[in-house]
Amino acid sequence: MAGILTPQILRRLEQFQLIAARRAKSSAKGERRSRARGQSVEFADYRNYVLGDDLRYLDWNLFGRLDRLFLKLYEEERELPVRIFLDASESMAFGLPAKFDFARQIAAAIGYVALCGFDRVSVHVFPEPQAVQESELAGYTHQMAIRGALRGVRGKKSSLQYFSNLTALRVGGVADFNSAMKRGVLESRQAGVAVVLSDFLDPAGYEPGLMALVGRGFQVNAIQILSPEELDPSTFGDLRLVDSETGNLQEVTFGRYRLAAYRQSVANYVQRLREFCQARGAHFFSISSGEPIEDLLLRQLRTSEMWG
Amino acid sequence: MNFLTPLAFWFALSLPVVVVFYLLKRKRVTRVVPSTLLWQRFLAETQASAPMQRLRHNWLLLLQLLLLLLLVLALARPFFAGKAGFGRLQVVVLDASASMQAVDEIPSRFERARKEALALVDSLASGKGGQMVVLVAGANAEVRQSATSEKAALRRALEGAKVTDSPTRLAEALRVAETLIRDRPDGEIHLFSDGAIPELAEFETRDLRLVFHKVGRGSRNAGIVAFDVKPNPEDVAKRALFLSLANHQSIPVEARLELAFDGQLIDTKSITLAATNTTPAVFIASQSRDGVFTARLVVEDDLAADNQASVVSLLPQPVRVLLVTRGNRFLEKALAAAGPNVELALSADHSAVDEGRHDVVVLDDVAPSEWPKGNLIAIHVAPTNWFEGTIGELDSPPIVNWRNTHPLLRFVSFDSVQLAKALSVKPPSWGISLMDAPQSPLLIAGDIGRQRVVWVGFDTLESTWPLRISFPIFIANAVDWLNPATAKAEQFLVKSGEAFRLPLTSPVTEATVTGPDGKVHPVTVAPQASEFVWGDTGVQGVYRVQLGTNRLAFAANLLDAAESNIRPRETLDLGRFTQVKATTEKDANLEYWRWFALAGLAVMLGEWWWFHRRTA
Repeated sequence: MAGILTPQILRRLEQFQLIAARRAKSSAKGERRSRARGQSVEFADYRNYVLGDDLRYLDWNLFGRLDRLFLKLYEEERELPVRIFLDASESMAFGLPAKFDFARQIAAAIGYVALCGFDRVSVHVFPEPQAVQESELAGYTHQMAIRGALRGVRGKKSSLQYFSNLTALRVGGVADFNSAMKRGVLESRQAGVAVVLSDFLDPAGYEPGLMALVGRGFQVNAIQILSPEELDPSTFGDLRLVDSETGNLQEVTFGRYRLAAYRQSVANYVQRLREFCQARGAHFFSISSGEPIEDLLLRQLRTSEMWG
Repeated sequence: MNFLTPLAFWFALSLPVVVVFYLLKRKRVTRVVPSTLLWQRFLAETQASAPMQRLRHNWLLLLQLLLLLLLVLALARPFFAGKAGFGRLQVVVLDASASMQAVDEIPSRFERARKEALALVDSLASGKGGQMVVLVAGANAEVRQSATSEKAALRRALEGAKVTDSPTRLAEALRVAETLIRDRPDGEIHLFSDGAIPELAEFETRDLRLVFHKVGRGSRNAGIVAFDVKPNPEDVAKRALFLSLANHQSIPVEARLELAFDGQLIDTKSITLAATNTTPAVFIASQSRDGVFTARLVVEDDLAADNQASVVSLLPQPVRVLLVTRGNRFLEKALAAAGPNVELALSADHSAVDEGRHDVVVLDDVAPSEWPKGNLIAIHVAPTNWFEGTIGELDSPPIVNWRNTHPLLRFVSFDSVQLAKALSVKPPSWGISLMDAPQSPLLIAGDIGRQRVVWVGFDTLESTWPLRISFPIFIANAVDWLNPATAKAEQFLVKSGEAFRLPLTSPVTEATVTGPDGKVHPVTVAPQASEFVWGDTGVQGVYRVQLGTNRLAFAANLLDAAESNIRPRETLDLGRFTQVKATTEKDANLEYWRWFALAGLAVMLGEWWWFHRRTA
């Protein structure tokens, strides 16, 4: 399984199904209940017969009892589009294990669950890779191809390819979280489940991007991945901190005695993000890349009824 | 607050050095982090929660500046006036000399000094084991209170101190004070004085921890600095009174000088005292009986103690001189011309020596079988009990040195005097040598018991001395010096604070002294005592003494030019190279540099701790 997820986890994941709070709106047929009426085994409603209706759906038992013609309506089952927004910016390369590795494991797991449920998975990797030099061109093309392949994945049989594509992703560049979200919203024809995997550490903020997703009707699951070093810094003294993405300098003098204040500050940041998400009906998870992924996948996502 | 060494503020120039150090501070460690966003949040939040965090970047700078500032302050030796003290032993020396009576401070310098000393007592940290000694330096140094932390006792000692009319005897007091603090590294001497102190050179090389509290502001004073009575050389029946009047102000002063005899005004004259100068004045007065002349300077000034002086004047008595000689016309003539009252008797034989009939006996190269008991000029005779060792002979000894500060050698010079022979003796303990050859003293003056002796170690006829003008002058000086009446007149004029001493010719058991204030002090004299001593002369004026049936009077006077100059001194000169500056602060000065140094250390330790805490 390309090593991205252990077989044990995959087996467990196969038992899950994404729970969509909203009815699927995809136009493609799938295994999800939708508002659309059509052919399925799930009875939905009755309505009066009008001329031209398919006589096969008349409820003859009712006609015999009431002497009136009713048509039985069935729910059309549609697919659930799952969009995974994967932050591949430079900042995700940090941490042990790297935040990006952790993020793509989650992406793989969610994608696998969706694929097992015959849902369509599309992964939006942002930012776009930058090709500045001739020698990097081959890698650039390869990255673009992989990203293209990740845009639409369907069927359980594609999962192997899906995993290897995820594994081949490379991080780099400066993320523009909000514009990436907005573009994803524009690109999606139907709303569905949106999973945002990022560290949410964009200087420009995360609010407009998340608002755009929520506004489009996505059921948003925001998963924040922070590295242990970010949560619990272990370097002290007079530091000049360089932002990996923007190159911003921040001079700070840090000692153990300020650790608690720092932790509090990080907790405040996470709490604000959590409150923002909860206020808009989005699920929010914050996890350290140093924690075991099983806890998130098999417990947290389940208890928050992202899948069940 | 004041500073003992404000020059130390030059060290403040080191403050910018810290700023330079701060600019050159060590490089920060550069680290690449995923995002500085969390750090910015963190900093923003901590800054928001602590307003002082605005200065966070400058904490080290501030600490270093504070440290340096404290050190500079400590170097400047700040002190507060009259605050809590911490010196373990403070020796308060209160100047009680006459100049402290000056009223330029209100009510007087002495009261002012006493007040400041009391303030120092109040500041005594007795709870921390601080102790104080009270010394009053009047005519003599008096330890009024030995080391104690009892403030009440110290206050009592200070309040009981009295100002005297005597000149300053500060060296003695400082010597006592110095011995008190010598083994106490935390000891300090606090001198409350106007600084009108003559010689303190003996303390030059000693590390005298002396704090000089200056009192006094003005120098408005004129006074009598010398007063003497002599027979009038022009008219033997009258007396000449010589006065020196000093004016220590920078402007001439008009004054009136009054002369009284036994309290009765007999003469007065107007006199202009030149600025910063001494003006002589002479009175000629006739005198019919023994009595006391009192001169009074009527002038507006700040110090009254030196405006009056008294002198006891006895009627001139004839001086009976007996010359025992084998023939010496030079000596004979010189003696006859020695004074208007000299009654000279000649004798070739020592058997003519009659005890008690002559005031002065001159033995010219004649050794008597029985030595006279009266005052004596002994020329070229050497009784063996006067000198130790053998008496030798010297051939033509050169005269290498003579002491012309002695009254006997006043106006006497031994230039171009040659001696053919002289006796060679060892310097005796009873007298001082006035003229020396390299091997031996040639002229000795001294007292043997109650006898005053001038010893000349060579025969005047075997020298060129009688041909010189110095010879009759010396003989006149000698007669004057040996005349018991002169000695008596000198005895009757003492400086206030000094003891009055009167040799007793006959044993006395009972005596009374009546002071200038009219108080009668009975005195018991030991029967074997050779002299009568009265030491309590702190108040100037006429003291009357009744010795058995004998009545006499003596005068205690200030008569001190240094004391009359009441200009307060800013510095005390201890010798040529050491000075003690007056603290401009009137009250006690308590140094705080230790606290500043301690605070500096604390800041340094705090900074060290801070440094390790932030980088640990």
